[in-house]
Amino acid sequence: MTSAPGPGSQRAAIWWRRLAVMTRKEMLQLFRDVPIVAFLVYSFTLAVFITGNGIRSQLHNASLLVHDADHSVSSRELIHRFQAPFFRLEGEIADPQEGLRWLDRGKAMVFLEIPPRFHEQLMTGEPTAVQLLVDTTNSPQGLSAAGYAAQIVERFGQETVQANVGSSEESSQNLPIIVSDHRVWYNQDQNDTWFESISHLLRQITIFAILLPAAALVREKERGTVEQLLVSPLTPFQIMISKVLAMTVVILCATAVSLFGIMQPVFGVPIKGSIVLFFSLTALFVFTTAGMGLAAATLTRNQAQVGMMTLLVVAPMLLLSGLTTPMEVMPAWVRHLMALSPLRYYVEITHGILLKGAGSSTLWDSVLAMALLGGALFGFGMWRFRRQFE
Amino acid sequence: MNALTQTTTSQPLIRVSGLEKQYRQHMAVRGIDLTIRQGEIYGLIGPDGAGKSSLMKVIAGVLSYEAGAVEVFGITVDSEPAAERIKHRLGFLPQGLGLNLYPELSVEENVDFFARLRLVPERDLADRKARLLAITRLDRFRDRPMKHLSGGMKQKLGLICTLIHEPELAILDEPTTGVDPVSRRDFWAILTELVQERRMTALVSTAYMDEASRFHRLSLLSNGRILASGTPSEVQALVPGSAVTFQAAPQLEALARLRKTFTQVEAMGPLIHVFTEETERAAAKQRIADGLGDITAGEVRVDDPDLEDVFVALLLRQGRLKDAGDVLPPSSARLNRDGLAIEAKGLVRDFRSFRAVDRVSFQVKQGEIFGLLGANGAGKTTVIKMLTGILPPTGGEGRVAGADMRKAGGVIKERIGYMSQAFSLYLDLTVVENIRLFAGIYGLDKEETRTRLEWIIRMAGLAGYESDLAGRLPMGVRQRLALGCALVHRPRVLFLDEPTSGVDPLGRRHFWDILSRLARDEGVAILITTHYMSEAEHCDRLALMYAGRVVTEGSPGDMKRHVEQEAGHLFEVIADQPAKAVLELRRAGFAGAALYGTRVHMFCRDPVRDKECACQALASSGVTIQSVTARPLSLEDVFVYKVMALEDQERASVSGDSV
Repeated sequence: MTSAPGPGSQRAAIWWRRLAVMTRKEMLQLFRDVPIVAFLVYSFTLAVFITGNGIRSQLHNASLLVHDADHSVSSRELIHRFQAPFFRLEGEIADPQEGLRWLDRGKAMVFLEIPPRFHEQLMTGEPTAVQLLVDTTNSPQGLSAAGYAAQIVERFGQETVQANVGSSEESSQNLPIIVSDHRVWYNQDQNDTWFESISHLLRQITIFAILLPAAALVREKERGTVEQLLVSPLTPFQIMISKVLAMTVVILCATAVSLFGIMQPVFGVPIKGSIVLFFSLTALFVFTTAGMGLAAATLTRNQAQVGMMTLLVVAPMLLLSGLTTPMEVMPAWVRHLMALSPLRYYVEITHGILLKGAGSSTLWDSVLAMALLGGALFGFGMWRFRRQFE
Repeated sequence: MNALTQTTTSQPLIRVSGLEKQYRQHMAVRGIDLTIRQGEIYGLIGPDGAGKSSLMKVIAGVLSYEAGAVEVFGITVDSEPAAERIKHRLGFLPQGLGLNLYPELSVEENVDFFARLRLVPERDLADRKARLLAITRLDRFRDRPMKHLSGGMKQKLGLICTLIHEPELAILDEPTTGVDPVSRRDFWAILTELVQERRMTALVSTAYMDEASRFHRLSLLSNGRILASGTPSEVQALVPGSAVTFQAAPQLEALARLRKTFTQVEAMGPLIHVFTEETERAAAKQRIADGLGDITAGEVRVDDPDLEDVFVALLLRQGRLKDAGDVLPPSSARLNRDGLAIEAKGLVRDFRSFRAVDRVSFQVKQGEIFGLLGANGAGKTTVIKMLTGILPPTGGEGRVAGADMRKAGGVIKERIGYMSQAFSLYLDLTVVENIRLFAGIYGLDKEETRTRLEWIIRMAGLAGYESDLAGRLPMGVRQRLALGCALVHRPRVLFLDEPTSGVDPLGRRHFWDILSRLARDEGVAILITTHYMSEAEHCDRLALMYAGRVVTEGSPGDMKRHVEQEAGHLFEVIADQPAKAVLELRRAGFAGAALYGTRVHMFCRDPVRDKECACQALASSGVTIQSVTARPLSLEDVFVYKVMALEDQERASVSGDSV
């Protein structure tokens, strides 16, 4: 470093100076583009907050309608076991047909029908049944409502039976009952907010990693400035890499704001693993995914087209990432496709670091896969860009 | 003048009074009064941002306005329903090449679409289509998709589509911007014919001062106001004076001396052009001689001032004196003038089976301004792209700034400056940020960047604009900033691809002033392409390209002399029935006779005998001649003459082959 600058080191210095001024230029241009900055800020702050608060896959506030033909101690007891926050009792009705109409109109999700002589039959040990009608138009909610309701009814039945058979200790112990007792790991409170806000953050990172460099490149094409750059001594590589560098820095900053400004303080998302590792792998992901944006920019002529192209690329990428639907439930051929999505590995890495506290020793295979796939994508984008101008 | 007296008796078709139009804080039109009569070709002349487009859109009923009154066909256009009542009677061609057309449709499909949209009966459509496509020479390309047409062809097609329903009023917004002189002449041919035959009225805007003679009446616009209105000769008469052109050496010293006494002095290649208020020819010459002192002027020529001189004089009268630095700060390094800056030898470039550039050779010395002219699609831009290293040539070789084009592309890129057709700087960066960016790209260190930044700001007159975003600058200032950025690394060779589109005459003069100083003072070689033939006059040497080849090369003077030898001298005839006069002259064997507004231009090989013959032909057909005067040949005449001759040759050889 202290040696006199020879022609080689001078050339290197100029190379770096060029890269630096170009990167600075990209940042300046981005921050003067008010709509895109507003979109960026919203996506990484307010949108994360709203999604974290709003989206629940757990059963929450399912509206319950009851037709109680018995009006006994037992029926009241059963009804009151359907409790908040899972269920919300809408009321009782006299006519069972009315209940069906409520379901049809979507005003109730669960309709519980208790037959006459319910209490009497329970007490005498006769078999009895309650009917449960569930609207599963929204299948995850509906199915879990059905599941919860079945559990409640079953437990109520068991307890009644136990109480009836006798209060003696032995007899109850002799009953062959398997108790399934589960223990939740990594997200002990089974807090949706964590998962949803992390998923949202990853979605935003992916979208912007493609959109920002693509928009920056296509803007140069649209305004004819790229021609001016091509007759200058810049190489195509310098033109491209400066955009990717600038946008990676911006996205990393936005991620930090989202993580330390919203997710950690508001939702209490734990950051169990190494922050440095998380940010370096995010940088790797953004950098490589940007290649896809650059490829998209070479296929389009203006910003509107590049916006649509981004949608086209992002939608399948998100679907195949396991962010919305877990990989395990996909058909086999889709699972093979998913192996090709770098986002899938990045999701594994993020969950691993943030929620499980995993380190590089457990994540190395995902990191390797992501780096290889992303590298290939970046190479493809680079190749498209060079080819376009030669 | 008869054509005019006819029109004065007819009803005004458009009446605009006190019109004001505002976009947010920006006043685009500030109080315009205008009356256009039926059967007129009315011109709006002025630079970008003068308010031409806003005025035309208001008249076409597609833009609302803040104050004033607009009446078209006797209907007051003040609401949507009122606008709907005039729309079917007019045709509107928006600004921009082929913007009203559908790129995927063929020429014929585009015409058919617009005709059916306007409910033109099928029989009329067939007739009109055949005729219009024939005049514009587009009939050979009926099946070609519009997107594959050249700029000039697109614009001609756009005009056909606008006029296919034979509207009573045609509103054409800068129809000839970016169109080469030959296509431009075709364009005027259709318009003059329709106006003559169908009594159509046309409102046309242009940024080309030299098109002014095409109009019956015109208004000069600047900054949302009308500077002057009237017939071309009335407007010219507003600023009496003479234009003096001569040679004087040393040129720079002569320019400096003359600038002390005259407000309008410019270098035109080896010549100097001065406007003086003196109308007497001898006195005008004397004033120039006084201004020059001990420098003697050679080949002095005194003409009536052209419209550009008048426009500039009017702007100057308004006190819009140029803010820009008059003294170009000397840059430390003067370039060695002896070497060749550009040497092209047999350059060839093929795109698949199409040969865009065919064995092009020329040389440009250091300190020379070299103009590359040609129709749209003649191969000019491809030549520039090869010389600047964006495009590898298929064959041939070239040296640029002392390096081999094929081997040392990187070295060349460091030694040249380039300014492209479209404004190619970052509109969302400030003036200083743009300059610093390019300084960085060319690898200048801190110290150099600082000195060059100062130099550019002085040179281009950018003081006061430093922290303005480039997008907010007036066109002329932007153009000088782009030039500054192209010069940041002291290039030896400067490439300019149609750099002055849309810049007002003052801005354009200032721009050329800088260019000639760069060439004369610092020895920079400049290669420029332009569609403004008045600009080509500034070049030291010119090469005309046609179909990928260089067909003639020489100084502007040589080229004119050459055409005068071949085709004869140019005469302007003022007669009472100009349209009839053109027909009669063509019948009498003057094939080049053409209508310019109310005047007729023709070539005479033998000034005395031909003139006599023409006068007789006209007199025998009952046309009264008011005057026949010799006109200096313009480069536009040269360009059109050359290209038309080549097209005729080509057609002859094609039909010869097919026989």
